[in-house]
Amino acid sequence: MTNEILVELHNVGVAFSAQRRLSANNRFWALEDVSVTLRRGERLGVIGRNGAGKSTLLRVIAGILTPDRGTVRRGVVSCQLLSLALGFTPHLSGRDNAVLSGLMLGLRRRDIVQRLPAIHEFSELGDFFEQPIAAYSSGMMMRLAFSVAIQVEPDVLLIDEVLAVGDAEFQQKSGAALRARMGEGHTVVLVSHDENQIATLCDRVLWVEHGKSVLEGDRDDVFAAYHRDLHLVGAAA
Amino acid sequence: MRQHLIELVLFSTYAELRAERSRSYLGLIWWVVDPLMQFGVWWLVMDVILHTAGPGYLPSLLIGLTLWQWMKSCMIHGGYAIWSNLNLVRQVQLPPLVFPIVAMLSDTVKFFYILAVLLVILWCSGYPPNLAYFGLLPLFIVAFLLSAGIGFMIAALVPLLPDLRFVIEQVLNVVMYLSGVVFLLSNVPSPLREILALNPIAVIMDAARGVLMHGLWPNWVGLTKATLISLVACAIGVWVVGRLASRYPKLAT
Repeated sequence: MTNEILVELHNVGVAFSAQRRLSANNRFWALEDVSVTLRRGERLGVIGRNGAGKSTLLRVIAGILTPDRGTVRRGVVSCQLLSLALGFTPHLSGRDNAVLSGLMLGLRRRDIVQRLPAIHEFSELGDFFEQPIAAYSSGMMMRLAFSVAIQVEPDVLLIDEVLAVGDAEFQQKSGAALRARMGEGHTVVLVSHDENQIATLCDRVLWVEHGKSVLEGDRDDVFAAYHRDLHLVGAAA
Repeated sequence: MRQHLIELVLFSTYAELRAERSRSYLGLIWWVVDPLMQFGVWWLVMDVILHTAGPGYLPSLLIGLTLWQWMKSCMIHGGYAIWSNLNLVRQVQLPPLVFPIVAMLSDTVKFFYILAVLLVILWCSGYPPNLAYFGLLPLFIVAFLLSAGIGFMIAALVPLLPDLRFVIEQVLNVVMYLSGVVFLLSNVPSPLREILALNPIAVIMDAARGVLMHGLWPNWVGLTKATLISLVACAIGVWVVGRLASRYPKLAT
């Protein structure tokens, strides 16, 4: 890990429209005040209760959402949210969908074509790879989706609860592939409710609550504070 | 980055056409049969029932409808493209203009199939190919730019105001009747004719008929004016989409 800062958020807030209106009024704040710094090679876990704003935060880092207040400073780096089945079209074959989804995930076409044999093999789809995905079971669809997504190699990989998909066997395989990817020295931001996963895979943790960053720092320190808070809230209830 | 976007646009266009072909039993035959059926309806009403079709009217009508259907579908499909892809807009960082451009390109590919049928009909009806056909290229480019400009403007607004969809088709129907699609500009009495001739779509229709039926080169002055209007429409469309782009990922479904 180096000290090179890839992405820096200062007091970032993001508001969504509660109703569809031309004016920008009538908004609620999904993120209110989050600050975080991401350095090259760092594996940052994001924890917090449901509705804390974790997924919104990932989309801000990915550049999908523009903050309504605060600042985002991003170096010349690609930040990609690991989305499954991006752009999948039912009447196209698994092969065509793999190319389309790979392009949506930021890969060049020649790179995807080069990786198609690996995608085919990893997805275990056999001859179904050439069939329209409308004929796939949901498990097959997820296998293809994951096999494409795991090929993406951005500077910053953003993962939102997508650690294992498909049946038990494929879950093990996909989980292992993702863990291997995270262990290759890539910069990763991982959102998960599974504390064990974050504890195993991340060096640093950001705790977000009600759209605000509560604590950011060493994994053990943040978990200790988070558990204390959970305990206090549980006792008060 | 730019090359990646070009690859994405081209492959998405291929994917859209391929998916559309697979959605029906007869596939791409419908791309041609559908407009042919529409021609048939107009022929039935204007020629067989109303007897209003004079000599040369039917080929004029076919040319007008072919071009208008292409332009209208670019405006409508392109105009709804960001709205119908909001799920993707929320998941991936892409310039929103990618979606209307893909829709417009796939409509343009379909247009060339229909154009081929139109040309065969014209050749069989005594309107042979001529040198002025080279004038069709700038004509089609202007028609595409104009449709794209209007489509981008619609695309910018529909995600924020989906109710516009209920109005747009009716407005475009009015535009069709004011653009010389189903009648010849030369049949309109003055001064209305001069006013209608300011409409770039009417200029395009008139020029296309001149080329395909009479071997006349387009009126370059009129076409230059139409080009300028189209470029301004495109610039406004691109600007509005750019201004509103940050709001699309925040919209509710």
